[in-house]
This record gives sequence, structure tokens and C-alpha cells, in this order.
Amino acid sequence: MKAPTPIIEIRDGKKSFGSFVALENINLTIHEGEILTLLGPSGCGKTTLMRLIAGFEGLTSGTLRVSGEDVAAVPPERRPVNMVFQRYALFPHLDVFENVAFGLKVKGLAKSEITERVKRMLHIVQLESLANRYIDELSGGQCQRVALARALVNEPKVLLLDEPLAALDLKIRQHMLAEMKRIHAETGATFIYVTHDQDEAMILSDRVVLMEKGRIVQIDRPEDMYARPKSLFAAKFLGETNLFETAVADSGAQGTVAKTASGIGFLSRNGAGHKAGDKVVVSIRPESFSFANNDEGSSQKTQGQVEDVVFIGSRSFYTVRLDDQAKIRIQVQRNGRVKPPEPGSRATIYWDADNVVMLPQA
Amino acid sequence: MLLRLVVWTILAFLVAPLIIIVLFSFHASASLSFPFTGFSLRWYQEIFGNTQLAGAVTKSLIIAFFTALITLVLGASASLGWLRLDRIGRAVIEAMSVTPIALPGLFVGVSLLVLFAQAGIRLSTLTIVISHVVIALPILIVAMKARLALFDPSLEEAARDLGASQRQTFARVTLPLIAPTLISSAILAFAVSFDEFVVTSFVAGTETTLPMYIWSMMRRTVTPMVNAISTLVLLFSVAILLGAWLIGRLRRQSAISARAEP
Repeated sequence: MKAPTPIIEIRDGKKSFGSFVALENINLTIHEGEILTLLGPSGCGKTTLMRLIAGFEGLTSGTLRVSGEDVAAVPPERRPVNMVFQRYALFPHLDVFENVAFGLKVKGLAKSEITERVKRMLHIVQLESLANRYIDELSGGQCQRVALARALVNEPKVLLLDEPLAALDLKIRQHMLAEMKRIHAETGATFIYVTHDQDEAMILSDRVVLMEKGRIVQIDRPEDMYARPKSLFAAKFLGETNLFETAVADSGAQGTVAKTASGIGFLSRNGAGHKAGDKVVVSIRPESFSFANNDEGSSQKTQGQVEDVVFIGSRSFYTVRLDDQAKIRIQVQRNGRVKPPEPGSRATIYWDADNVVMLPQA
Repeated sequence: MLLRLVVWTILAFLVAPLIIIVLFSFHASASLSFPFTGFSLRWYQEIFGNTQLAGAVTKSLIIAFFTALITLVLGASASLGWLRLDRIGRAVIEAMSVTPIALPGLFVGVSLLVLFAQAGIRLSTLTIVISHVVIALPILIVAMKARLALFDPSLEEAARDLGASQRQTFARVTLPLIAPTLISSAILAFAVSFDEFVVTSFVAGTETTLPMYIWSMMRRTVTPMVNAISTLVLLFSVAILLGAWLIGRLRRQSAISARAEP
């Protein structure tokens, strides 16, 4: 893989609206051709960050470069960036073809070239047959494709997508995610995707930018962010997890050991940087617990009472009350060889030091 | 039952005079009261032979046309500004534009007359047009406001994002989308101007508009010709209001917002 070329660079970005600080300490480099997701709860500033890149807002302080050029003074119509709006913002007085042709027309391209490029783009989004329909005659999923085509036909270096699937129902959403990946591969543009939906972020992105209260909390590949969240917020926002309030007892070459008040000890290989006596929160994903000791030597264990089992096809979710009354959730993959415990029975629970994440208290 | 009776009574009161006027405009004799003695088109024939009346109609049409035109330009500017205002700004404009509608015509007429006198403007067709604009503009703004509230500002952003300059955005997106609203509002202004009487009577000077001509005619003798004129004015007003309504309802163009239903 060749070295990534930065296409968008934001340094010390800050944006305030009056006394409200929407974004602060934004340092972000986006690489050419990647799908980057801005993920966070509503009000975290992800949409503002997108509007800054599009040019609808300006930074209060800091710099924003697109392809190395400072774009502070460049209005939205002259940025090599196009946007797919949350509600699509398709032009109701134009048909599908005219909507897609809009960007090329205002640039004054020759009619034959416009027709050719629009047709090619309609082919990519599979809407050729609907070229003469008006927007109010389209379904949500079709509107979504028109919006994609209208933006992509301009061959932008960067495509901004503002929660483009929020208005669609679940089934179409999954289909459109796959479509989006295909279109990304076909066009090679950089996609910046705003969402509050962690599943969309995980499925789609090369990298995820997790945001909270106007700040970037963590930038990582989705699998890394899931496996090694750097904050309690990240651990809780992405997926489900079990949390334990602990204090660090010892830190050495083996790893870091932390103990709960009731004496359950956790050895972690991801706890570097914590000293003895530090209060840390231990995070272990439900699938990282197991009723079987299948790792050699590195496994740790504790005991508890199985309270409840929820069976979901290939997996089961167990609720186990530990001896210190703390409840944990365990996800078990269906497996013919190992017989999982019955509800009401006592069980030994094992986990691996690699899957123990130690996080600073919020 | 009682409610139904009330409704029908009210409707009868509203419609009965109209029916009587239309009916007697076709009356064969000069009598304006029952018994009805037969149908004839003589009063309509008389209308078309009356040059004074023709002059008044022409004047009214010219005034209504210019009123509509000026109101349209001012109203379009005002509404474009309105689109860019925040909630408080909109409330202020709204309050300011609704107030003149509530003022009595007598008050508006006197104040305009005083204004023209102080400014040294001679009463003429011009002063009538100015006065009609004063009356029609608030009505137009109120009518337009309801439609523009549906305008989705992200459409303008989308146009800019796709490379359109501010001017191109206006010409290719904003104007086409608000045009039906503007035109139907302008027709409304035309209708308001065409049969305005109270304020006009203050600021007309020696000019005679159609409503003023009818009024002066009735002061002399009441002939069924007044009924015939009124019937035609009624038809004309209904026709233009219907036109305004139809334009406002045009499919596609009525979709001023781009919100896709999920």
C-alpha cells in the first residue's frame, strides 16, 4: 500500500457560535481515497465539522487546508468538495436528470459532455430508467441515489455525506451501505461520512473519528477503536461492554493488575501508563468472557451465578451475578462441544489479559 | 339541527345579495324589485356603449397592473429578506406587515391624503397606485410568508455546494421555486387594487376608477346597469382569484421544500 496523501488537514480548529463553542482542538488529517466517519452523539459537533469542510461555515481560529491550500477565503461553490445533505436537498422543480446535471450546467460545460457524464453517473447509481421522474415521484432510497449522483457527477476530491441514511428504513439502509462501498470503490473519491450510528461507522469506514462535546476523542480503525477504546466514552459508545471500578495494584512487565473493592483482580496487557494506586475503569466486552478455559495459562477467572439467558440464534447472552453482586453480560457463540451453564447454576467465568482494557475514570 | 340552521342562514345572507344582483342584471325592465318581468341583455349592451365607464375600467386596470407589479417587486425583495431572517426578525416583519391590514381604510386614506399634501404630491393616478401598494403589500407579505415558511434553505446551500454562485443560485433555484407564490400573490394584489374604494376615494383627486364610477352612478340614479357592471366585476374577480389559486397549486412547483418523506 502506498503512503497516504493528505487531502484535508485541520490544525487547531476552533468554531464558536457566539459564546457557544461548537468545536475545539480539532486536529485531523484526512487521506485521499479513504472512507472516514465522523461519529458521535447528536450535538457533538460532527455536522459543524462537515459544514466547515464544505464551506458553509468558517473556522473561528485554526487552519483548514484542502489539497494543501488554505481554503478560509474559498466559498463553497469553489471548493473541490461536494455534499450529500441529510434530507438530500434535491431540487423539486427539476427532474432526476436535471438534478444530477445541475453542477455541470452552472460550470458551463458543453451539452454533449453534460449528457454523457450524467448518463454515466445515473448508470452507476442504477437510476437510468428514472431520469425523467420528478423528485416527489421517487422513494427514499431513490432520492438517496440521486443525491449521491448529483454530488459525484462533479468528480469531487472529497464527498461529504451528512447522515445520508438517517431517513431510510433499516432494510434499505443496509442495502445502501453496500451500494455506498461499491460506489466508493468505483469513483475513488474520499468519503467523509457523518453519522451517530456506530454500526454504519463500523461497516463503512477505513477510519473512525469519534467526537464528543466538540472535541475529537479518538481516531482509529473501527476494529482498533472497538478493541482498544482510549476513554470510557469510546468504550461505551461503540458496542456493549462490562465496566468495573478498580484501583491499580501493580504494574510490571507481565502487565498491569487492577483490583475491584471486592477483590476481583484483572490483569491487562493494555494498561501501560497506569501506576499503582490509580483509579481505573476496566472494560471487558461481553464476547471476551467465556465459560470455558480455552487459553493456556493467560486466563483469569472469577465465579458467579447465572441469572438469565437470552438466546439469539447463533449467539446467547448470559446475565451473570458475580459474588460481589455486580452483574455482567456474557456473549457466547453457539458451539456444539462446550455445554454452557443452565440458568440458576454456578459458573466459572474466564477471560484473557489481551481483552482487558484499562481506562481512566471520566 | 340548530347549528345547521345557523350555517345556512349565514350562507344565505352572504350569497343572497349576490344572487339578486346577478338576477336583476338580466332584468328586462328598469325596475330593481320583484316581480321579475323577463330576461334581457339590454343592460349589458348599455355597458359597452358607455365611454365614461370604459375609461374608468381602463384606469382601474392600469392602476391594478402597476400596483401588482410594484407590489411584486417589493414583496419579492421582502420575502427574500424574510428567508434569511431568524425567528425574531421574522416576528418583527410579521407584526409590521399585519398591522396595516387591521387599520381602518378611513384611517389609511386620511393619513395618505395628509402625507401627499405635505409632500406636495398632486393627487393623480400615481397617488392611487402608491396607496394601493400600501394596502396590497401587507396582504401579499402575509400570503407569501405562509408558503415561504416551507422553503428549505438547504436547497440554496446545495446549489452553492454544486458550484453555483449566489446569482446562479437565485436564478436557478430560489426564483423558480418561489415564482408561483410570487405570481399568485401578485394576482391577489391586482384583485385588491381593482375593487378598492375607501382609500381610493381619498387620494383619487379628479381621477375616476371603476368602483368610484359605480358609486357616483348610484348617487344619481340606480339603474340595473349597476347590477350588470357588478356582475361582470364579480366574474372577473372570481376568475383572477381562481387563477391565482390554480397557479399556487401547480404540481411540482407547489413542492417548495425538498423534504423527502422517509
